[in-house]
Amino acid sequence: MTALLSIQQVTKVFGGLTAVDSVDLEIAERSISSLIGPNGAGKTTLFNCLTGLHRPEAGEILFSGRSLIGLRPDEITDRGVARTYQNIRLFGRMTALENVLVGQHLRLQASHWSAVLRTSRQQAEERAAREFGRELLDFVGLGGREEVVSTNLPYGDQRLLEVARALGSRPLLLLLDEPAAGMNPSETDRMMDLVHRLRDEKGVTVFLIEHDMKVVMSISESVAVLDYGEKIAEGTPEEVRSNARVIEAYLGPEVAVQEAAGNAIQ
Amino acid sequence: MPLESATRAVRTGLVAFAFLSYLILIGIPGRIGGPALPVMALIAALFFWVKLRRESIEPSKEATGRGQDGFEGKPGWEIGPQAASNGSRVRELLSSHTGTALVLKGLLAGLTTGLLIAIVSGIIAAAMGNGIAIQPVLDKIVPLNAAALIGVSPGQIAQADVSFARFLLQVLLFTGAGILAALAVTAGSSDLTHAAPVGRLTRHLSGPTLTSAGRYAGIALPFVLLAYIAWLGLPGVTAFGTNEGTVRLLLTLIATGSGLFALRLSRPGREQLAVAVLLGLGVVTMPFILDQFQNSVMGLVFIFVMMGLGLNIVVGYAGLLDLGYVAFFAIGAYTYAFLSAPFSSPYISGLLTLLGISPESPLLGYWMALPVAMLTAAVGGILLGIPVLRMRGDYLAIVTLGFGEIIRLFMLNLGELTNGPRGILEISQPALFGLTPVDVTFGLLSSQGWIFLLALISSALVAFVAIRLNESRLGRAWFAMQEDEDVAEATGVHLVRTKLLAFAIGATFAGMAGQLYAARQINIFPENFSLFVSIDALALIIVGGIGSPAGIVLGALALKGLPEVLRGVDEYRIVTFAALLVIMMIVRPDGILPSARRRIQLADPDEPGMDSDPETREEEPGLTVNGDAFADGSGGREEQ
Amino acid sequence: MTSSPVKAQAAGRDGRASLKQFTRALGAAIVVLVIWRVTTVGLAEGYPASFWISQALNGLVLGGVYALVALGYTLVYGILFMINFAHGEVMMIGGITGFFALQFAQARGWMEGPWPVVVVALLLIMFIGMAASVLIGVTLERLAYRPLRQAPRLVPLISAIGASLFLQYSVLLIFGVSPHSYRKPALISGGLRLGDVFIPYTGAIIFITSILLMLALYFIIQRTKLGRAMRAVAEDRSTASLMGVDVNAVIVVTFMLGSALAGAAGVMLGFHNTVVKFNSGFIPGLKAFTAAVLGGIGNIPGAMFGALILGLIEAIGPSALGIPTEYKDVIAFTMLVLILIFRPTGLFGEVLSEKKA
Repeated sequence: MTALLSIQQVTKVFGGLTAVDSVDLEIAERSISSLIGPNGAGKTTLFNCLTGLHRPEAGEILFSGRSLIGLRPDEITDRGVARTYQNIRLFGRMTALENVLVGQHLRLQASHWSAVLRTSRQQAEERAAREFGRELLDFVGLGGREEVVSTNLPYGDQRLLEVARALGSRPLLLLLDEPAAGMNPSETDRMMDLVHRLRDEKGVTVFLIEHDMKVVMSISESVAVLDYGEKIAEGTPEEVRSNARVIEAYLGPEVAVQEAAGNAIQ
Repeated sequence: MPLESATRAVRTGLVAFAFLSYLILIGIPGRIGGPALPVMALIAALFFWVKLRRESIEPSKEATGRGQDGFEGKPGWEIGPQAASNGSRVRELLSSHTGTALVLKGLLAGLTTGLLIAIVSGIIAAAMGNGIAIQPVLDKIVPLNAAALIGVSPGQIAQADVSFARFLLQVLLFTGAGILAALAVTAGSSDLTHAAPVGRLTRHLSGPTLTSAGRYAGIALPFVLLAYIAWLGLPGVTAFGTNEGTVRLLLTLIATGSGLFALRLSRPGREQLAVAVLLGLGVVTMPFILDQFQNSVMGLVFIFVMMGLGLNIVVGYAGLLDLGYVAFFAIGAYTYAFLSAPFSSPYISGLLTLLGISPESPLLGYWMALPVAMLTAAVGGILLGIPVLRMRGDYLAIVTLGFGEIIRLFMLNLGELTNGPRGILEISQPALFGLTPVDVTFGLLSSQGWIFLLALISSALVAFVAIRLNESRLGRAWFAMQEDEDVAEATGVHLVRTKLLAFAIGATFAGMAGQLYAARQINIFPENFSLFVSIDALALIIVGGIGSPAGIVLGALALKGLPEVLRGVDEYRIVTFAALLVIMMIVRPDGILPSARRRIQLADPDEPGMDSDPETREEEPGLTVNGDAFADGSGGREEQ
Repeated sequence: MTSSPVKAQAAGRDGRASLKQFTRALGAAIVVLVIWRVTTVGLAEGYPASFWISQALNGLVLGGVYALVALGYTLVYGILFMINFAHGEVMMIGGITGFFALQFAQARGWMEGPWPVVVVALLLIMFIGMAASVLIGVTLERLAYRPLRQAPRLVPLISAIGASLFLQYSVLLIFGVSPHSYRKPALISGGLRLGDVFIPYTGAIIFITSILLMLALYFIIQRTKLGRAMRAVAEDRSTASLMGVDVNAVIVVTFMLGSALAGAAGVMLGFHNTVVKFNSGFIPGLKAFTAAVLGGIGNIPGAMFGALILGLIEAIGPSALGIPTEYKDVIAFTMLVLILIFRPTGLFGEVLSEKKA
């Protein structure tokens, strides 16, 4: 497997605070990877660097071998990176289908003139886009909710809709920022199932931030851990679980020592 | 009566007094003349009615609701004349505690107002009678105005010949107004209490609650009006004496406006198409029927429809508040003026002579100049758009306002190019294959009628383009940008291109409107392009309903057409308009004919703004199709 | 489906960074152009130094007046995040009322009396103007803004535009179109001559008064309980109300303070320009807003300095650039546009992020 995304020595500084500190990370193609870490560890900042919302002070981000540094967010989306947000950011007054159509925006080619004249090509493209939008809504489990205004959707469905919108741009890599946050267990299961199907059926590489360890440990093939902007561990879920530095970061030094001792006894 | 309620009543009276004093100061009584005093009392009664009704509803909704059973549907005003026949009911009401308290309250409020007005007008009358001229200070306090208020002749004021009984009459009239209002509230039906009249009207006109007969009547109304206008226009027929012209203009405005409601009422599909085609035909015949003045007003209305549609792209679709929109209107107008007026300006004339072209004949005709004007305006839109790309909200508004002023100041001061305040004169008229329309139609179509026709066709074209664009992926991108700029960009919307397209398309439409305006005016001056044009354009899309083309037409009819009908009271035009703007924002910020979904919410949702609180707004009556959807701060800023 | 091939990169890589570079280059070009113009044209005219000094003093006087008005914008913006578009009209009403108070005083002969009488009368005139402005400002808040406090941002702005027009044209209807001219009392109509520089008394008085008023405001905001409440509300309205601050009262007081300063400015501008009429608040209002933006809106010392700078530039600019004085408004608005483009936080801007702009 080759690396789809390669993060090299990326550093982002806000004022005096180094939010992301020389992070190296590789995401393999068609993998499901997770990024974990305590609150304020710099996870979302790293995502923002990846999607062009922030420009890192140093380092290189290669996607399919080409640099993403200095590109605008829409150009990065065009390259094939899409994302969702920690605190849901849908286009509130649009319907579910319209949200997905905006997601497809840069995959539509018809000129604005043809939209005025409603040429047959433009009409065909619009029809196809709607069809694809419905398909995506079905895929995430929102079939039949096309015309619901997005703020009127239940919370869990809004998260699913964000995924569908991101899929609209036909991404190669999908960044999910805490997809299961605030969900009940059954919704979480649905989301986990969706993540698997994303990879298996759509061939999308998934990179996600998550706090729910159950989710992280059960779906990730590899896990990276950030703490105070630094990558402190990386590996398979099992490796990360038993890593002393990770335990320390999460639970504080004393507990970590005890845990490590416990592990040793086992 | 409890003390609290008494102080409340006195306060109501004071506010009414302040309101009436304002009306007196701007000279309303003098305007009305003879019946001024009773009319003022009636206005006061209306005010008391609103105030008392709200006070009586607010504290205990159920209590008053129960007390009003059996009086449903009775218009409040009839209680006065009907008092005799309904004596028992009134007595019943008066005997009940709430009724008596309310009437006492109305009486107290009316008494306060009446006493204050009598005292003040007494002082004014005394001063005038003693030869003290207040007029140099307060423009409208002339003997005529004061006399009308007191109900005497101006001569009596001049001679200090006002009896005490006159002031007593004032007090009694206003007190009566208070009592009348209180009775009206007591008798008012409870179903009137909730929705504002405008809201109810529009909801009826658009909702499925309307019976089919009502629906057909609504659809037929514009056609009946158009037919009536056509009949009025036939020679030899007069109506309403000398005011025929004004009446006809008013009817034309109403017919056009009701046409929009008819379109909404008709069922989508074949019925709607038929109504649209027939209406289109009806409206297109208007320029041939109306006279020069009416045509010129309608022409202006539709020029502003074009402006509104263009600005709506920038403000309503893309959510960029532009207060300097007049700049593009001016660019369009001046471009055409340069190209088509002889001796347009020293600089241009010099340039033309240098190029060996006679500066005395127009360089380009209307049609050849049209693409030039549109292009110039579009370039202007892009040039002015680039610097403000990264600004949002209020700052954008103020900077664009600054741009508008800069352009106007340049037009005023760049004398060599624009001829300064002397303006550009004798702009040529749009021709049709080298002939003037008056010739082509054998005099049926006047020159202003021709402008009206062009404005109609152009606005239809502009509306078509605007609607189509809005329904395309560009429209979705605009709307996404308006909702959440950052997310839109991360979703793949090229912000720079999308914003500049909005500015450029909006500016193009304004340029077209400007060119037609120049042709309509024949002579243009920098003061034609003041800030007020921008404000008018913005106001009309807001009054009509932002994001809704039909609303824009309605807004233009109301804001540019109606004032012309009210020519006689021209001086009160802007004040009324300004007050309406404020009231509108408070009562119905979505406009008269809001678009189904795009409610006014131009601030991006994640802005701190004015504590945007979705719950409070959801209770408003309005026209929502797919449920209410107010984005709350769904996207807080996520940083670090 | 598997992911489709990525669309070819059509547009060039004109990212945000290059846009920033472009604006920076543009800014540098403008600065160079202005310096070139000033050195080759403005200074080449060879005006004497005294000319520049009197122009600068003029600018300071104007700046002092703008500062008083700008403070009103900044105060309201700091607390409500809204542009009180009608603030210029509040100032104008102070000016109009001051005019009538002056007429009254003149009719009674107070203006020819001994100097203590004149001083007291002038102070009274200013207080009456301030009171009128406060009345209008508070009414405005109550009727046109308070019902809209929960509304989206554009709504109160439009309401404010409506209110501005309403006030202007009401004054037109009530007091007529013709300008009302202030007649200066003899006591302050002279001036001080320092070498070639002439300082009119009115100018000096206006400048000193505005500085005193600004100091008073600064004291109120920094040192009193009321000021602390205002700052708390500006920081976070809901938290402040949870802490027991009466937010409504604070907002009303904010409008009162801002309007009082505007009223004083209106009266002083009346003495300075010698005329007031229905629309004489509009352009100064816009300028004052420019000044507030220049200093970073929401920032009180910023508004003061921004206004002084704007006044100076407006007074010196046309001569320095060698262009007719009619363009002084163009200079002011161009400044506004340029500031917002290159430094959206204003010259002294602090917390206000690009987001709010």
